[in-house]
Amino acid sequence: MKQLSLRLLGPLTLVLMGLTFWLGLWVTPPDKIQGNLARLVYVHPAVAWVALYVSFGTATIASALYLWRRTRSQVMDRVAHCAMEVSVVFILLTLITGSIWGRPTWGVWWAWDARLTSTAILGVFALAYLALRRANDDPDLRARRSAVFALLAAINVPIIHFSVQWWKTLHQGATVFTANRTLLIHGLMAWTLLISFFAFTLLFFWLLRARYRLEVLRGERYQVVLDEALVQRRREGVR
Amino acid sequence: MPDADAFDLTPVPAPPSKRRGRRRTIGVLVVLVLAVLALLSQGLLHSLNYFETIDQAMSARTTLGTSTIRLEGVVKPHTINRTSSGASFWMTGGKDEEVFVNAHGSPPQLFQASIPVVVVGHFTSSTSDRFDGTQILVKHTASYIAAHPKRVKAPNGTTR
Repeated sequence: MKQLSLRLLGPLTLVLMGLTFWLGLWVTPPDKIQGNLARLVYVHPAVAWVALYVSFGTATIASALYLWRRTRSQVMDRVAHCAMEVSVVFILLTLITGSIWGRPTWGVWWAWDARLTSTAILGVFALAYLALRRANDDPDLRARRSAVFALLAAINVPIIHFSVQWWKTLHQGATVFTANRTLLIHGLMAWTLLISFFAFTLLFFWLLRARYRLEVLRGERYQVVLDEALVQRRREGVR
Repeated sequence: MPDADAFDLTPVPAPPSKRRGRRRTIGVLVVLVLAVLALLSQGLLHSLNYFETIDQAMSARTTLGTSTIRLEGVVKPHTINRTSSGASFWMTGGKDEEVFVNAHGSPPQLFQASIPVVVVGHFTSSTSDRFDGTQILVKHTASYIAAHPKRVKAPNGTTR
């Protein structure tokens, strides 16, 4: 069952992404105010959702599980590392798609308001996590330090989420997860938005799986190289 | 021939260089702090709020004077006058306070009546309600309404 679901992950992701783009670009109506510019609503919010909650969330949870003795394992460390790498990609995509949307709607590519600035800071945190991993040679020390860092960096996520409520920002408030739980998008537009969230979430897990497999292969390759080096050294010693 | 097993050639792992790892970690953290401070210094440290509302600006006129601020309001209908250098219009706040804006530079694509905008500029004097703008930003809402949704028709057959 697990193998089947893993095998279906890629094709299902592809189908949902295709459906999102088909609905978003051709089927859904334009917005009353933004016109066709609003079609980016089927990309940017979903990418941001993955960046902040799914990928960064996965890295944070895996880091917490690594720090807890009962669940500490190389698997958790690898998952945290791989999820954070994918998180960097999605954070970057969030900023880029937001910029592309902001230019014709707001009138600027970028604004230093609380939402955008705190999201940029999250990107810096994610890069710092990866830099921290390269700064330490000892595997356990590397895993622990980066896990602690991930947990501290995750404090920024609720700040980003609530920034549009706590402060006056150029970035608009939530469309789906509003403070008074009202949905500000309806009909086919809402359904397409929902499909986009599923599609990009599956895309994250597909990328995470691929990256994780690469990490496992790297570890196995390192072991093979080490074993070969040992055999070679022994041969040299015997001659 | 000496026995191969007598020679233990397994590489002995070097003791982890804690000092080097610690130095690199500190280096990363220092760069991180500098990067975050650099981001925060772009206006955020002065005020977490990106703009002042008209009502706030009007009540703080003596403090603001003619300093550059970002002023937020809604474009009053039937007041937009597009000029060769930009646009002029009246902007209303939450308590019906009004400010006349004379903005230079092309307004954004979504600029229109009844839309929230943020204008970068300054009041012409500490008592005037005229605002000289250098940039207009549109602050669109989070609502998405389909243009001409045909599935809903009025009894007389017209659609929204």
